[in-house]
Amino acid sequence: MTASIEEQYLEAFSALAPQGDPAWLLARRRMARDIFAAAGFPHRRVEAWRYTDLRRALAKEGYVPAQRYDGPLAYDVETVGPGAAAFGDVERHMLVCVNGFFRPDLSSADLPDGVSIKPLSEAVKETGFEDFLTTDDNLHPVNALNSALMQDGLVIRVEAGKDAGKPLHMVHVTTSAGASAAHMRHVIALEEDAKLCLLETHLGQGGAGYLANHVTETHLGEGAALTHIKLQDEAKDALHVAANNLRLAANAKYYGFVLALGARLSRHETDAVFKGEGAHADMHGALALRGKQLGDISTYVDHAVPGCSSNAHVKSVLDEEATGVFQGRVLVAKDAQKTDGRQLSNALLLSRDAGMNAKPELEIYADDVQCAHGSTIGELDGTALFYLRSRGIDEATARSLLIRAFLDEVLETIPLDGVKQDIGSQIDVWFRASALAGSETR
Amino acid sequence: MLEIKDLHVNVDGKEILKGITLSVGTGEVHAIMGPNGSGKSTLSYVLSGREGYEITKGEILYKGKDLRAMEIEERAAAGLFLAFQYPIEIPGVTTMTFLKTALNAQRKARGEEELDAVKFLRLVREKAGPLNVSEDMLKRPLNVGFSGGEKKRAEILQMALLEPSLAVLDETDSGLDIDALKVVSDGVNALRSPDRSMIVITHYQRLLNHIVPDKVHVLSAGRIVRTGGKELAHELEETGYADIVEA
Ligand SMILES: Nc1ncnc2c1ncn2[C@@H]1O[C@H](COP(=O)(O)OP(=O)(O)O)[C@@H](O)[C@H]1O
Ligand SMILES: [Mg+2]
Repeated sequence: MTASIEEQYLEAFSALAPQGDPAWLLARRRMARDIFAAAGFPHRRVEAWRYTDLRRALAKEGYVPAQRYDGPLAYDVETVGPGAAAFGDVERHMLVCVNGFFRPDLSSADLPDGVSIKPLSEAVKETGFEDFLTTDDNLHPVNALNSALMQDGLVIRVEAGKDAGKPLHMVHVTTSAGASAAHMRHVIALEEDAKLCLLETHLGQGGAGYLANHVTETHLGEGAALTHIKLQDEAKDALHVAANNLRLAANAKYYGFVLALGARLSRHETDAVFKGEGAHADMHGALALRGKQLGDISTYVDHAVPGCSSNAHVKSVLDEEATGVFQGRVLVAKDAQKTDGRQLSNALLLSRDAGMNAKPELEIYADDVQCAHGSTIGELDGTALFYLRSRGIDEATARSLLIRAFLDEVLETIPLDGVKQDIGSQIDVWFRASALAGSETR
Repeated sequence: MLEIKDLHVNVDGKEILKGITLSVGTGEVHAIMGPNGSGKSTLSYVLSGREGYEITKGEILYKGKDLRAMEIEERAAAGLFLAFQYPIEIPGVTTMTFLKTALNAQRKARGEEELDAVKFLRLVREKAGPLNVSEDMLKRPLNVGFSGGEKKRAEILQMALLEPSLAVLDETDSGLDIDALKVVSDGVNALRSPDRSMIVITHYQRLLNHIVPDKVHVLSAGRIVRTGGKELAHELEETGYADIVEA
């Protein structure tokens, strides 16, 4: 009998005997491994993954653990390199991870007062750290896999009342050319009234078919505020699967934005749970995809307590044979009165072969709530294109004006001007590449 | 400037223009009048190169060149301008961004230097003032939430900025009250010049009291059924289209 891809996968990673894990972690890993072995990689018949068949995408390759790389990078992640030096003009602290391992030597040392950063491997040795790892492995086989195999990650903590000031910029680079996999676990913990802006970019070397798996545990204390902006520009054959588990205490505020440009298959999932009243979460995003790319932005929001608001707005621009996915659910508990929960997906299909699967859902058990969900799928407005061209604007520019206008509605929500501009120019770069590809085939 | 010879045009397989011959000299202003559905807008779209308008017969020469061989944006850069009967709303693109992109695209296509932000702003303000186009309108998304009159004034502002050689104004008077009509026609008259030709399409004669044409053509069921001087417009006002169309 041949081994399943899950068995093969676990076998390939069995050599990763973690050194010096505390007992609770060893027990957790064993349990998570069993959960994953039983459930397997998610596929079409798993509701939350019905449009994003990870099992199929993984089946082709024999994955091996990503290797720690301590050498120099081919480019300076701070100023050049792929991703056109995203956020290069924003004053920030750098936190660099290569092939799934934190590289303090490439990162900023002068952290702001009240902010601490530790690699996961160190943090797990602290007593009480397990309380931060609240992700339920039973709910999500990929998170279970991550718990079983996680090696490194960043544990970022901001003390009560401190404003971290300049953004922290996590850069994840994969240098390996083959089918390697890295499972990173990050913790972002803000105590009461703490403030942080976190930027993330994910980059890889062209064509590499690696798997980047991130689970981020985000804990926001009372009145804490986190701005979290991510640019996913992985190598074009890569797989990127990220889960952001978000817990918000009373009056906490979360602003999240993701732009997904890269990877053959990517998923950015946010699971938000409101633990205290008066909290707010924005979970916005944009997909700009072409070729045979699949990009998935999904949000699951649990309004467990009254008086919280959540808003997820995803805009997708899909060219050639690309597929976009938006899944999500707003769950409003029986006592969660005065909840305001919104989910909206708008997709723009630039080609007949592109497609969007959007399935926002509401599940409401309270009666005094304001909830809305919707999705639209459209094409570029031919009349608008004609109008612009009739004024002398060439077709490529006219198309990019209309696409930017479409995306600007979500880009405009980004609260930092420099970051907003950078995200915008990433899209313009994407568009120019798309227009060039288009003019070749035309 | 413009030579149209025996032009036949199909829309969705149906013949809408059935042999139009028209010659507009440099500096001339021609009016095209006619009942609704006679093909006036169709003619303007064919000139601008809109998709879906199939020329089955005839030719169009613009400045001596075959217009059919030119892309929509090439025609614009070569000085052809259509003021739309129903200007298009473009959410998310501000009027200002649109105007700057259009002007610089045309300048670039003609090998001229693009205008920087400061020079452009000065130029827009100079042209916008007389047309009562406010700063607020310039900051709003193009035509979105504009009143009928605002849309028409925005069209004329585009024309004033782009300084075309041949302007086709499609029912620029429709939906305007007397005051707005005056502003718009003053704007158009200010652009009359010996180098610039215009085709003024209208259903009513009243616009032609303000913009006095050199020639008037009557279009009916896809054919020009009469051509005359400016007095033809007055005659139409008296008798209506029925007599002429049947004649
Ligand atoms: N997109 C279209 N598809 C089919 N028929 C059309 C279309 N546009 C216009 N027509 C028809 O063409 C004729 C001329 O229309 P139009 O040029 O708009 O007339 P006018 O501007 O003189 O009122 C009308 O009979 C109209 O119904
Ligand atoms: Mg018309």
